[in-house]
Amino acid sequence: MTVAFAEPATVAIPTLTTARLRLRAPGPEDFEAYAAFGASSRAAGVGGPFGRADAFRNFCALIGHWRMRGYGRWVVAERETDAPLGIVGPMYPEGWPEPEIAWTVFEAAEGRGVAFEAAQAARAFAYGTLGWRTAISCTLPGNTRSEALARRMGAVEDSVFQHPDGFELKVWRHPAPEAL
Amino acid sequence: MTPVLETERLILRRPEASDLPVWLDFFMSDRARYVRTPEPTRALGWRAFAAIIGHWAIRGFGSLVFADKTAPEALLGATGPWEPEGWPERELGWTLWREEAEGKGYAFEAASAARDHVFRDLGWETAVSYVDARNARSARLAERLGARPDWSAKTPDGLQCVVFRHPKPEGLR
Repeated sequence: MTVAFAEPATVAIPTLTTARLRLRAPGPEDFEAYAAFGASSRAAGVGGPFGRADAFRNFCALIGHWRMRGYGRWVVAERETDAPLGIVGPMYPEGWPEPEIAWTVFEAAEGRGVAFEAAQAARAFAYGTLGWRTAISCTLPGNTRSEALARRMGAVEDSVFQHPDGFELKVWRHPAPEAL
Repeated sequence: MTPVLETERLILRRPEASDLPVWLDFFMSDRARYVRTPEPTRALGWRAFAAIIGHWAIRGFGSLVFADKTAPEALLGATGPWEPEGWPERELGWTLWREEAEGKGYAFEAASAARDHVFRDLGWETAVSYVDARNARSARLAERLGARPDWSAKTPDGLQCVVFRHPKPEGLR
């Protein structure tokens, strides 16, 4: 057997900076914060809670998504400390109704407008850099905090989507790029 | 660094997004019944493949897809190291994606190369393979590789499997 080493095929994950936040590539150092979120009742808003094994698979898929689509979700980090506060960005996994702007914030970031600030940056990236002409966000039934953020973003209820894996998503439509 | 392994007949390399259709054909087929939930969807298969790709970024190693060097686009399966959080040990895994690839020793040739890779290149001191208790073909491959059941080893939560432990290959001891 012979062995050669190729350069790792990487996708360049851009970094976005806002007033208080840095949206950056997810890394192994962020996993514990994500697993803690997954184990908490907060994860009910995204179909959880889920255990460490599922959290790991989800976290791997978060990074894999960047390579599959060329874009994906960032870890939202505090600019000062780089502490992970949530997961926000454009995503479009198989089975999804359309590409969406997705947001998840960890407990430490609650009530500080972190998700709003990050989601605005993510939407601007989707429209400005990715060239999306429209964008949705999806919420699970009962996730009223996420619905409130969708409204704050100017999104309006669009439709209800039956996911092939047997759950229902409420689809929110964002204002078009030219309306912002 | 990303390894590209070559054996007599096969090339093994890191998976790419463009490999998705072949993976989904396997994932949706009955051949994948021991490595996924009983009712597959393309959405689940997509996420599983994204996780396989992301595992490389998190761990720096991962599952390698393999093909005959004379037909490198026609992927035959995947094999390699796998280390999800929550598992008792790091694993050497393998899947053969096409029925017509069976009986030709491809899985043995690929898994042998992957086994040597984890001991030689990654410096593992031991490796196990978690084989579904119903998967007789995979158990035979584990034995052909020289692995033997380790009844004292823990199994991952929720998996009904036999733990095969691989001896460190001669020459790497």
